[in-house]
Amino acid sequence: MFATYGPMFLMMLVAITLASLFFIGASTLGKKKPTPEKMMPFECGSDSSGGRHLKLSVKFYLTAILFVVFDIEAVFIYPWAIHFKTLGWVGFFSMTGFLVTIVVGLLYCWKKGALEWEK
Amino acid sequence: MLNLLLLLDIVPGPANAATPVPETPQGPWMGFAYFGFCAVLAVVGAIATVASPNPIRGAMGLLLMIISIAGLFLALHAQFIAAIQVIVYAGAIVVLFLFVIMLLGSDAQTPSDQRGRIPRFGAAALFAGLGLAALTLLGRTMAKPKLPGDVGSDFGSIDSIGKVLFTDMLVPFEISSALLIVAVVGAIAVARGKHGELAEKGALNK
Amino acid sequence: MLLQAFAISPLLMVGIGAMLLMMAEAFSKVRGGLALGAAAVCFAGVACAAGVWMYGVETIPGIDAFSPWLRVDRFSLFFDALLCLGAGLSCLMAGGYLPEHNLDRGEFYSLLLLSTFGAMILSAAGDVLTLFLGLETMSLGVYCLAAFRRASARSSEGALKYFLLGSFAAALLLYGFALLYGVTGHTDLQGIGDAMAKGNIRNPMAIMGLVLILVGLAFKVSAVPFHMWTPDAYEGAPTPATNFMAVAVKGAAFAMMLRVLLTAFGDPRSASWASGWPPALAWIAVITMTVANLVAGRQESVKRMLAYSSVAHAGYILVGMVATMHSATQASAGVLFYLLTYTVSTAGAFGALILCGRRGAEAVTYEDLAGIGRRHPAAALPFAFFLLSLAGVPPTAGFFGKWFVFRSAMEGGFYWLTIIAFINSVIGAYYYLRVLVFMYMREPAAGAPVATPMRSGYVTAALILSAVLVIALGLTPTKSLSVVFQAAAIFGG
Repeated sequence: MFATYGPMFLMMLVAITLASLFFIGASTLGKKKPTPEKMMPFECGSDSSGGRHLKLSVKFYLTAILFVVFDIEAVFIYPWAIHFKTLGWVGFFSMTGFLVTIVVGLLYCWKKGALEWEK
Repeated sequence: MLNLLLLLDIVPGPANAATPVPETPQGPWMGFAYFGFCAVLAVVGAIATVASPNPIRGAMGLLLMIISIAGLFLALHAQFIAAIQVIVYAGAIVVLFLFVIMLLGSDAQTPSDQRGRIPRFGAAALFAGLGLAALTLLGRTMAKPKLPGDVGSDFGSIDSIGKVLFTDMLVPFEISSALLIVAVVGAIAVARGKHGELAEKGALNK
Repeated sequence: MLLQAFAISPLLMVGIGAMLLMMAEAFSKVRGGLALGAAAVCFAGVACAAGVWMYGVETIPGIDAFSPWLRVDRFSLFFDALLCLGAGLSCLMAGGYLPEHNLDRGEFYSLLLLSTFGAMILSAAGDVLTLFLGLETMSLGVYCLAAFRRASARSSEGALKYFLLGSFAAALLLYGFALLYGVTGHTDLQGIGDAMAKGNIRNPMAIMGLVLILVGLAFKVSAVPFHMWTPDAYEGAPTPATNFMAVAVKGAAFAMMLRVLLTAFGDPRSASWASGWPPALAWIAVITMTVANLVAGRQESVKRMLAYSSVAHAGYILVGMVATMHSATQASAGVLFYLLTYTVSTAGAFGALILCGRRGAEAVTYEDLAGIGRRHPAAALPFAFFLLSLAGVPPTAGFFGKWFVFRSAMEGGFYWLTIIAFINSVIGAYYYLRVLVFMYMREPAAGAPVATPMRSGYVTAALILSAVLVIALGLTPTKSLSVVFQAAAIFGG
């Protein structure tokens, strides 16, 4: 396992080390002279108003969950594509059946207006 | 502990001693350290997920746990599953969680725990006791673990998964499309529909 | 190949029908007719199941092609018909209920049909993998159906509870199956059963797996103490969806329970009083019946009362489940017959509840129903009839359902269990009859909102169909008994 994934682990190690080095470096080496003006949230010169965070619309959520569903579909297609030749017609029709179902779902989303932003 | 590792096929055990383990030339302790590292990170992530008062930190804890578990999958020779774990869970599900958190406003706080001390600590003690009992039971079973045979070098690769998925497991594969489509329809039904909520307001009574 | 497709035609009918309906809904501007289409798909599913049954499913060559994923046998065909019947009745009710209450969104029927598909997979699953896929397909659809009244906070609350506890139960079930896989190395129920018969039940890991599976199953059939979600989810959901949950989801959960317990844990040791699941199930049955009946009597909302009543009925069915340890075929035939009578009686009761209400004046509490018997006898009479069947008054179907389950428990030697079940059905009669008292002997308080019945051909059709079935099952139980015995014969050994 380590022989196979050694480079990957090494890369992760380097990435984590670098990131933490930057963080630690920035917080220890940098000068800090906070004044009340500096600590104010910056909003193009004017005083900021309103809440700290924007609330997202529920549309984002719908888009995200549809993305997850079609993401999983892609996961299934990948191993199928690798075996496309050996599986023959059986594999072709089984994937066709699967895809038809997914396309029905996609068409349904589309006609229901779930893919449109403003309604 | 070591028994669990035997099952994970990290430590060469007596039963599969015949199987060469070229992946761990540094001996069992490298695998042990790897397992321990991932397992501890997963538990830390899980605790952070449920214990963090800030929901965004909670989601990040979930991310940590998911990636650590992907690491454990790697140790089990399940490379494809590990990749899926990162793509689907870390890439999509955690993003979905973040969307929901943003939906509610990320500064939303969990309401403070109204329950008294006794139910809280009592429940914790009860579950800890049950968990300990379960672990003891499992530990006794694991004293002589039934190790799976040699899984072969291409076990867990996309190649072998594709072969099994599209020959033996064709029926579950087709059924899984029903699960996906019901998720699509359900999301539309709950989150949106052409007949908006305005028309529905009249339905409210009692 | 063609004959194999014929063998799974109920599944294909509902699955493809659901997709066609989705396309019809998405591409046409016409709103009506969806209920009729969905009901037609469901009843076509019933017809397909009956057709395969008549043809003789055992004689179809290559029927094992779907094994172990799907077991196409008389048991699964029986459940195909039962679940499609329950779903079809729910569709008919929805055809009247949804437009009346301004909920007429087409997703309802797609979700309902896809859930039914999942339920049918669940009842046919011979492998843990398909079992879980079916369970999740069914449950996801039902969670969304429970949340269908988006404008109602109560609906959302009930659906959320249902979703959280249901996912928790599914996780427990999955964990139990994972432990069993660890012990036996099998995911198909038959393989697990064979390995367990070799003495693996002594294995602590297998015991933990069994405990977790029992808890997960108890959640899904909403047995006490795992019933917490039931009243809220049932009350918040639109009534046709409540009916679907009470009838089809519960039916499929019991099919899963029968298959898992009798196939994977059917060996003499696991299915014994000394070292197996029957005592746990017996105690769950006792608590379920007692608690549900006592709490149901104290409800003010009729819908909530019906929710607790469905919990209580799960308790009676569990009594039959316990009896399977002595005579697998006979006792499970009793369970199947009970499910059949319970399905038609419950569907009728929910249909009548829908009929008693109208938008803005929905029948919710007992007070709402006061005096409705005299003002609107056409709505009150079916309600009274189905409640009597649920209470188990002869000669309705409910009486014979209870009779066969209790008799198989007596023959298994569970006298104490039968006596408790009997006392509980007497308690249960109290709250069913209380509805009758309010409908026929009370007058509404002055100024109180009075429920006015609606008119709907769909709901009337559903009521007539269930009434015919209740009477038919009550008067001639022999015919249907031979059917359930053939279905239960797969557990014979």
